[in-house]
Amino acid sequence: MRLSFWEITPVALFIVFIAPVAIVLVSLTGDYSDNWTHLYQYVLTRYIANTVYLVTGVSILVTIVGVGTAWLITNYNFTGKNILEWALILPLAVPPYILAYTFTGLFDTYGTANNLIRDLFDLGREFTFFPKVRNVPGAIIVFSFTLYPYVYLVSRMAFINQSRTMLEAGRTLGLNKFQTFYKLGIPMIRPAIIGGLMLVIMETISDFGAVDHFAISTFTTGVFRTWYGMYDIETAKQLASLLLIFAVTLILLERYSRKNASYSNAMSLYKPLYLTKLKGIPNILAFTICFTPIFIGFLLPILELSYWALNYKLDFFNDKFITTAWNTFYLALIAAFLCSLLAVIINFSIRYKSNNYLKVMSSFLTVGYAVPGLILAIGVMQMLTYFDQSFISEISNFVLTGSIIGLVLAYVIKSYALASSTIESGYQRINSRVDDVARTLKTSGWSLLAQVHMPLLKTSFLTSMLLVVSEVIKELPATLILRPFNFDTLAVYTYIYAAEERMYDAAAPSIAIVMVGLIPIIILTRMIRTSRPASRD
Amino acid sequence: MTALEIKDLSHFYVKGKNVLSNVSLELEEGEILSILGPSGCGKTTLLRIIAGLEKETGGSVLMNDQIISDHFHTVLTENRDVGLVVQERALFPHLTIINNVMFGVVGSKSERHATAMRLLKLFKVERYAYNYPNEISSGEQQRVAIARAMAPNPKILLMDEPFGTLDQSLTNQLRVETRKILKDNKTTSIIVSHDFDDALSMSDKVIVIEDGTIIQSGSAKDITHISREKSVKFSSIKANT
Repeated sequence: MRLSFWEITPVALFIVFIAPVAIVLVSLTGDYSDNWTHLYQYVLTRYIANTVYLVTGVSILVTIVGVGTAWLITNYNFTGKNILEWALILPLAVPPYILAYTFTGLFDTYGTANNLIRDLFDLGREFTFFPKVRNVPGAIIVFSFTLYPYVYLVSRMAFINQSRTMLEAGRTLGLNKFQTFYKLGIPMIRPAIIGGLMLVIMETISDFGAVDHFAISTFTTGVFRTWYGMYDIETAKQLASLLLIFAVTLILLERYSRKNASYSNAMSLYKPLYLTKLKGIPNILAFTICFTPIFIGFLLPILELSYWALNYKLDFFNDKFITTAWNTFYLALIAAFLCSLLAVIINFSIRYKSNNYLKVMSSFLTVGYAVPGLILAIGVMQMLTYFDQSFISEISNFVLTGSIIGLVLAYVIKSYALASSTIESGYQRINSRVDDVARTLKTSGWSLLAQVHMPLLKTSFLTSMLLVVSEVIKELPATLILRPFNFDTLAVYTYIYAAEERMYDAAAPSIAIVMVGLIPIIILTRMIRTSRPASRD
Repeated sequence: MTALEIKDLSHFYVKGKNVLSNVSLELEEGEILSILGPSGCGKTTLLRIIAGLEKETGGSVLMNDQIISDHFHTVLTENRDVGLVVQERALFPHLTIINNVMFGVVGSKSERHATAMRLLKLFKVERYAYNYPNEISSGEQQRVAIARAMAPNPKILLMDEPFGTLDQSLTNQLRVETRKILKDNKTTSIIVSHDFDDALSMSDKVIVIEDGTIIQSGSAKDITHISREKSVKFSSIKANT
């Protein structure tokens, strides 16, 4: 049997993506040290309980915020809607650990917010108005208000592509506006919501910075403490393996839940939605609902960081800063383009070949997202070292380890789930009969992809790039380990200061991360707004 | 000349549950054949097998006396020289009407443009040439879909419930117009439908499928007669216009 490019590529990619993860998983078959016994007996239950508590809280809050705002923006016209529409994705530029740092600075006993209340009402120094945030509920708020744009983006995309006729049919059958949203709008975009939610959950369970700062014991803090505290990399890898198994279980559950819930729109029957103009209290309510997440997830940390930066020093616009920002930006763009392209190729292969094996393989490619960056970096480093020692050194002086290739590879593996989920959602909206007709018009393989699918996937491709760029700019542990010698990114700068709790020093590079992260978000958001298919308006 | 010949065709998705069983038929060049049957009887699967979108599990398909699919050979869809019209139209939403019709045509840009415009005129939708599919009505979309499928001059035109979503008066009008165009162009065509009227008003030959087996075949008038006698359960049977 002769295999085509569309069958070989997913298999090759599967091997490359799985190898670093396999290197970590193999540790489960090794010897278990006393440190493992200690972890198992005393702290593992706490890790699991805290992680489940965190994930549940974040999932609920993110769904409410992400889907609610997407529905309002897609279906209603209200004050500030045109700005809020794109501003709602601004928190993507703020990494959870930066929001965690600013939350602590704001709401701690002697933080900015409590000081402000005390000064305003002339209260004693022992008075605290805001509750403590360095706990699990605080972390739920931090993750939810930085990660909800994942759900907002995919929900909005799905709502935009919902046909007006379907919702109108619901109204004529006696449903009111809320029932139309709840009984028709939500079920129709359920696959998109679940896809976005999975990304949020994976992001939450693989975060280290925020939970560590809030002193919450989760799997990731456990892995880091075992490595750095106990200097036991094998036990750290074994612990990371459990996290990985949890992530794989999540992926399988997600696939199972979506098994019978794949909806595609008959594109030719598509009618765009009419927008309802809101006035009075509903107008104010809609504005408040959409403005609040932007305020908490973006404006508040920016204001606090700016306050710190201006009160301390602002001397970072030098050559070094520009080089670092450029490094960060071009790395992110390379990774985002590669990642999105691979996601298109893989999803196209699955659709074109209608092959269940390819589908299963594609699920495994998304595992990298749930692997903590540090562990993924170890896997990539060990894999590249093996290649260097076994093959590369034989033919050239070039070494993969410590080159930009390792870094890009880690970014691509880590961010692939983001890209794939977005492209997959895009594909769900292309009626499969379009492919049938195209094939009878002598268009197949690359032509089908280039002439039919890519124009229809343009919005999804740009969204995918947006998500990956903002992810890569924030990525820290993998960068720290895999960066070439004397090669810094903005995240590395921030980490060094933040790890020492020198928040005033960390403020400036933190703002820079957010600002650099904003550039692609703004550019791509504008492109997305002008690239809706099949419409002149 | 036999444009299409199907011999003992069988197909199943789940072993033991045949969707099609020993289906055989012949279609001469320029003839219009209707495949009738209730939902789920296997008629769309038969059409997809002819198009090469599904691989039969038994039997063979021949076009112009050449085997295009059997146990040993499979000519890919894109090489079969068939046109396809589906109920959903499936027009490419990112392309204008003229670009949709030009899509499958080979030749220089001006030749492709001329071919597409000729067909758009034939179907009376030339004024929408530079509109996008969502800017025209369902009936106009359906005309464009048929024009697009005919544009590369396929050996066989396959139409799956082509008028399924249109209102009655528009359907009646389109049937008459489409038959005239197909006959004028001598386009060998197969129409899959669950509606007798489609078959009676458009086709030269009709086959009726039930549970994956051909239960009747003949000219449109024969089928009307037999169906009335045997009370085959389809929608209203009207006289051939």
